Amino acid sequence: MRRKTLLLLSFVAILFVTACSSSSTSNGKGLEELTVWAWDPSFNIKALEMAEEEYKAEHPDFKLNIIENAQDDIIQKLNTTLSSGSTKGLPNIVLIEDYRAKSFLEAYPGSFYELTDKFDTSDFIPYKIAATSIEDKNYAIPFDTGSTGLYVRTDLLEQAGYTVEDLQNIDWNQYIEIGKDVKEATGKKLITNNHNDLGILRIMMQSSGTWYTEEDGVTTNIANNEALKIAFKVYKDLVDEDLMNVHSDWSQQIQALNSGKVASIPIGNWITPSIKAEESQTGDWAVAPIPSLPGMEESVHASNLGGASWYVLNIEGKEEAVDFLTTTFSSNVDFYQELVSEVGAIGTYIPGTEGKAYKAKDDYFGGQAIYEDFTNWSKEIPEVNYGMNTYAIEDIIIVAMQKYLQGGDLDTILETAQEQAEKQIR
Amino acid sequence: MIKLKQGFIYAFLTIVSIISIFPFFFMLVSATNKSIDVTRGSLLPGAHLIENIKSLLATVDIGQAMLNSGVIAIVTTVLSLVIASLAGYGFEIYQSKAKDIVFNILLLSMMIPFAVLMVPLFRMFGSISQVAPAIGIDTLPAAIIPTLTTAFLIFFFRQNTKLFPRALLEAGRIDGLSELGLFFRIYIPTMKTTYAAAAIITFMSSWNNYLWPLVILQSPENQTIPLLISNLGSSYSPDYGVIMLAIVIATLPTALIFFFLQKYFVAGMLGSVK
Amino acid sequence: METTNINKSVKQRRGKSKFKPKKGLSGWIFILISVILIFLFYFYPMLQALLLSFQSGPGVNLEFAGFENYIRLFSDSTFLTAVFNTFIFFLIQVPLMIVLGLIFSVMLNNKKLKFKGLFRTAIFLPAVTSLVAYSVIFKYLFSNDGIVNMILMNFSIISDPILWLSNPFWAKVLIILAITWRWVGYNMIFYLSALQNVDESIYEAARIDGASAFQQFTKITIPMLKPIILFTSITSTIGTLQLFDEPMNITSGGPGNATLTISQYIYNLSFRYTPDFGYAAAVSFAIVAMIVFFSIIQFKLAGDKK
Repeated sequence: MRRKTLLLLSFVAILFVTACSSSSTSNGKGLEELTVWAWDPSFNIKALEMAEEEYKAEHPDFKLNIIENAQDDIIQKLNTTLSSGSTKGLPNIVLIEDYRAKSFLEAYPGSFYELTDKFDTSDFIPYKIAATSIEDKNYAIPFDTGSTGLYVRTDLLEQAGYTVEDLQNIDWNQYIEIGKDVKEATGKKLITNNHNDLGILRIMMQSSGTWYTEEDGVTTNIANNEALKIAFKVYKDLVDEDLMNVHSDWSQQIQALNSGKVASIPIGNWITPSIKAEESQTGDWAVAPIPSLPGMEESVHASNLGGASWYVLNIEGKEEAVDFLTTTFSSNVDFYQELVSEVGAIGTYIPGTEGKAYKAKDDYFGGQAIYEDFTNWSKEIPEVNYGMNTYAIEDIIIVAMQKYLQGGDLDTILETAQEQAEKQIR
Repeated sequence: MIKLKQGFIYAFLTIVSIISIFPFFFMLVSATNKSIDVTRGSLLPGAHLIENIKSLLATVDIGQAMLNSGVIAIVTTVLSLVIASLAGYGFEIYQSKAKDIVFNILLLSMMIPFAVLMVPLFRMFGSISQVAPAIGIDTLPAAIIPTLTTAFLIFFFRQNTKLFPRALLEAGRIDGLSELGLFFRIYIPTMKTTYAAAAIITFMSSWNNYLWPLVILQSPENQTIPLLISNLGSSYSPDYGVIMLAIVIATLPTALIFFFLQKYFVAGMLGSVK
Repeated sequence: METTNINKSVKQRRGKSKFKPKKGLSGWIFILISVILIFLFYFYPMLQALLLSFQSGPGVNLEFAGFENYIRLFSDSTFLTAVFNTFIFFLIQVPLMIVLGLIFSVMLNNKKLKFKGLFRTAIFLPAVTSLVAYSVIFKYLFSNDGIVNMILMNFSIISDPILWLSNPFWAKVLIILAITWRWVGYNMIFYLSALQNVDESIYEAARIDGASAFQQFTKITIPMLKPIILFTSITSTIGTLQLFDEPMNITSGGPGNATLTISQYIYNLSFRYTPDFGYAAAVSFAIVAMIVFFSIIQFKLAGDKK
């Protein structure tokens, strides 16, 4: 028995040693190799691979080590590593969603490499620069726009006697009226949404230039936020009129769209590839401008949802990383044409968006030049300061919304939410 | 009356078993179906298995992930069993007031949520990386080392040692065995059953561990099976057939180990010293 | 009368023989590695977390805050919701898992039962799945137009689909169902192996003395299994109070914090929001306090029933 145990132990010891050596060799990377963390293989990862090819043309030894993880996992790893004070295991470049950018920049000063003067900020759509900068210091090369639109099923609209023309320059109340007719004619609900993800409120707020926090990005702005109040009412109307299909995750949302369960969805342009995945609906879709908030003069027919940018970590290899990013994402017009035509990714690099590929008409959307439309809308998106606490506050708002849907008084609910947010955020 | 009661017991156990197995059935069937059929709730086997296998192999390196998880789980299981059984044996056989205090202190560690330990542990491995990169961040040993000892396993061995017939030790001592000799020559062979159960438990929890590997392992080549599944599951255009196939493959080793050791478990039970 | 008989035979089986361990250091050598590893990987990081809990600030900009974090706990309604949810899960889950586990194990311990191995394997099988994997499966099974709703509607048990993941009440039910599915078989195996260690002759003696099946269960089975019941109830308590993987992967704590647990709140504070590791550490010590409290109660309860 003892011999067997010893044998087993030595076997394990060998395994252990191999594990050590195999891992350590994989860590020896030369400076030609840069590591990137990003999510979404069909979008961001593809864009990175194209950028790598592009850069390789002049730097044949260059290698990009792309590590794909779910966005939540990236955030968690980044927080763990940065807070440990160790630079071991950090990538050279990381993709961060604009809503979260300030959180990282403020929480880990000095960890991200300042990119001021490394690229021409005037080449990018202004709201994107605002989202990636602190006190006029730039920290990221902006990537995709979260420019929003109202994706609609024209065939279902027609059954209720409407066309896309009827969706131009309307507000949410008018859209709800249309939705009632569509539901009566087709039996389909108007939109699909997740009660746990209030992106639709963010769309409505930003369309009128407000946010959960004031312009300083710190002062909570809930109880007296007129846009948020109206957005709450619109949301409840959508639920009460039974116009909202409820999904609970991303894949159910896609399923609701692809299976024809709902007639429309207000969302960021990055949904395009997912909608187009259902080939049988070719020609049935169109994109209208986002409805404005009723009773808000400031509210425009353009807003933003999501969107991310490239950040460079302040570690060895930062100069190489900057060179890679600036030769691809902030100076290469042709590269952006490929991004649109091959990935469907709409950039925020203005010279790029003026290229030919952006004018292309898409048969899936009945020949509409959707990329041009999204780009035009993106220039109208009001700038807001997302601050550090978007998601922390939104979790409080989600609870408030539940209370409101169950019939609570809106002013009281929002005041409670305001108090709570003030306590939680400091 | 007795027949009725018997019938009720069989019916009850059958229903319970069906509920227990249904998700497995769903997972197996779905692995043979197209993504769209999975979402439509098909409960019949499809003909898409080969395609699912192909696209799984094309999208992820599941072989590497299996290898990593395997190395981690095997090393963890063997080392944990040795370390914990030594301690369980030591605490029970060489019982003393002082050791009981130490034992109770160790038990307290079960009450610490992992979420608290995560950041300090990562920091610790960050400094280890400076001196010994081979066992630092982003290495399989780093995924193994902090999980090697759990108070649970020590407690488990101590509980079982209570049932261990000490007369055997006395006999061994008369035969001239050393203290360690008693442990290796007499305790381990006698306690096969306990080791089998402990091995099942440890292997499964190590194979299935998610949070710590997620934090400490960064490179794709170090990815473990749960990380791979979570990545597949949270992707933007999930292919359910492929995900289910990956889950089937991920579950196979733990299921097989259970079946394999279960027999040994029962046999050891019957043949064990009463 | 019966009880004394049983106690006697228990004592005989566990019989502490004349074996006297060698005094001195040899005993300590056995436990040395474990002690070092547990101090290094549990208590040392725990100490760091304790120091952290007296600081506050975003990310690495931590400043000394005294007891501020602990005071903040009581006015933080998200924390209170998380405590409430965790408490509900604990109150339902722990007794449910013990009772079901005991019922199944006693049924399966019946010598005359056919297909015993089959039933045992079937009921234990869920315990081999990884938490990530089974959470993914449950999410699909219980989605709004998932299979469970389809089946329930086909049998006309419900007319509209239950929004398992979007309704605060049903989301809690779903989490409880999921945990029960995953863990009952695991507990059962402990009871079953303990039952198989019980000498059949004790039951025979009891039957001769005229004890009913129920009496045998309460007078023999339960006392014999008491250490293992206590053990599983404490591990279940610890597991439930630290509940993380299931709500994280199935409902992500929603809808509207309806299934948010304390561990998940710690996770959110550290990794989802702008991290405040100091406050997160303070929250985690609240769990530690709760676990210690409930474990002591369980020890006391178990002790009193002697």
